[in-house]
Amino acid sequence: MEMTGSGLPPCSRWEYRTRPLCGGALLSSASTRFTPPSIASKSGALIGCRGRFSSPVFTSIGTSGSGSRCRRGRRMSINAAATGTLQKGIAEFYDNSSGIWEDIWGDHMHHGFYEQESDVSLSDHRTAQIRMIEESLRFASLSDYSLKKPRSIVDVGCGIGGSSRYLARKYGAKCQGITLSPVQARRARELATAQGLADKVSFQVADALNQPFPDGQFDLVWSMESGEHMPDKTKFVNELARVAAPGGTIIIVTWCHRDLSPSEESLRPEEKALLNKICDAYYLPEWCSTADYVKLLQSLSLEDIKAADWSQYVAPFWPAVIKSALTWKGITSLLRSGWKTIRGAFAMPLMIEGYKKGLIKFAIITCRKPAS
Amino acid sequence: MRLLTHNMLSSNIKGVTNGFPLRIEVEKMVEKEVELNMDFLKNMFAKVEWRALVEASRSMGYSELPDEADSSMLDSDEFLRKFHHALLELHLEEGALVCPETGRKFPVNKGIPNMLLHEDEV
Repeated sequence: MEMTGSGLPPCSRWEYRTRPLCGGALLSSASTRFTPPSIASKSGALIGCRGRFSSPVFTSIGTSGSGSRCRRGRRMSINAAATGTLQKGIAEFYDNSSGIWEDIWGDHMHHGFYEQESDVSLSDHRTAQIRMIEESLRFASLSDYSLKKPRSIVDVGCGIGGSSRYLARKYGAKCQGITLSPVQARRARELATAQGLADKVSFQVADALNQPFPDGQFDLVWSMESGEHMPDKTKFVNELARVAAPGGTIIIVTWCHRDLSPSEESLRPEEKALLNKICDAYYLPEWCSTADYVKLLQSLSLEDIKAADWSQYVAPFWPAVIKSALTWKGITSLLRSGWKTIRGAFAMPLMIEGYKKGLIKFAIITCRKPAS
Repeated sequence: MRLLTHNMLSSNIKGVTNGFPLRIEVEKMVEKEVELNMDFLKNMFAKVEWRALVEASRSMGYSELPDEADSSMLDSDEFLRKFHHALLELHLEEGALVCPETGRKFPVNKGIPNMLLHEDEV
């Protein structure tokens, strides 16, 4: 489906309208009573979905215990139709783009962890991506020295299974991966079979907001750069907690926007405008902050909650991705991959801009599910 | 999809109280040889829902597993081999997983289950 790029009518106070991705008829939904100022912009149909997904819980968090919750502090229901549209967009984006990414960057679809901003070659990036996994485990106190190694792992938003295979190999554990993209699931499985891991890792097309697993299955719940795709952060985190075994560890590494100061209700208009453009290209619903995640985990009585801003450690990543896209191989591959991937490529400088402005944060948030 | 995976999947359709285990409808099934790893099997035994594994393997045409099992049986090589075969070597390539309460079918294509819920199931 091609994006029409047409604008949306400004949202009236108590009614919400959205235009689906195909540019079809306007839908109105009485179930979402919400006034999103960001709606009235013309950067594309996905904004409709984005506004709908935005949970008011994620505004004006702050650390004060002032007790004065703004009106948008109520939880709202997420419209299932719009979620379905976003999911289809995500699936198609990754169906189209996974191949080219793997071709140039390999099987890890996440940022590398770099010691300091330096001139790194493409081969160093793979090492950095592996380091990202190791540093994340270490941050969550799941180092090589910890007594309890995870036996069962879920990779939420597994891509082509890079993390799944790495973790399964590292711990000798069983790993389940879920992704919205059938192309990715197939490729993940191919790679697992080729690497002799078919008995340890398996992949399903499934929804992170409705994980097809019974409660308490996994010692390690791993979400490496998938959280930013989740239109309902509350549901997302709830599911992570639900499928975690008692005593299990949850690791979320994701893109967030900066924490709001206590006096702020929301990001500044120019900040929202920048994020909107990025959202369109990468099929992202509205962003939240690291503090929002911490609050969610706290509300679920999870323990040992830790969070950090790792933006400084990922700084070389986007410039490197851009560089790789501008090679002959990069350009020809992009042209073959289609518009969605190309649009994603054009959005890369926006990510750099976001990081430079301190608007975009690369965050890690970890915690443990109580043992009893 | 191996039965090890099937043993972990459940139907989370709205309103369903117990979506586990999913029934298996086989359209195409293959047997793939996998190297036996005793430690892995012993670790997995504690986590596997035995009855669900027995039913699933029967629907795949394998009836060698005993109805009940306890960890002492892991000392027997023959039991380990059967357990290994059912858990890791039977693959559902095409077919469906069926929700035990609603009868809704989750398709399995090229060995990959699609567990995405429809809008009205969420």
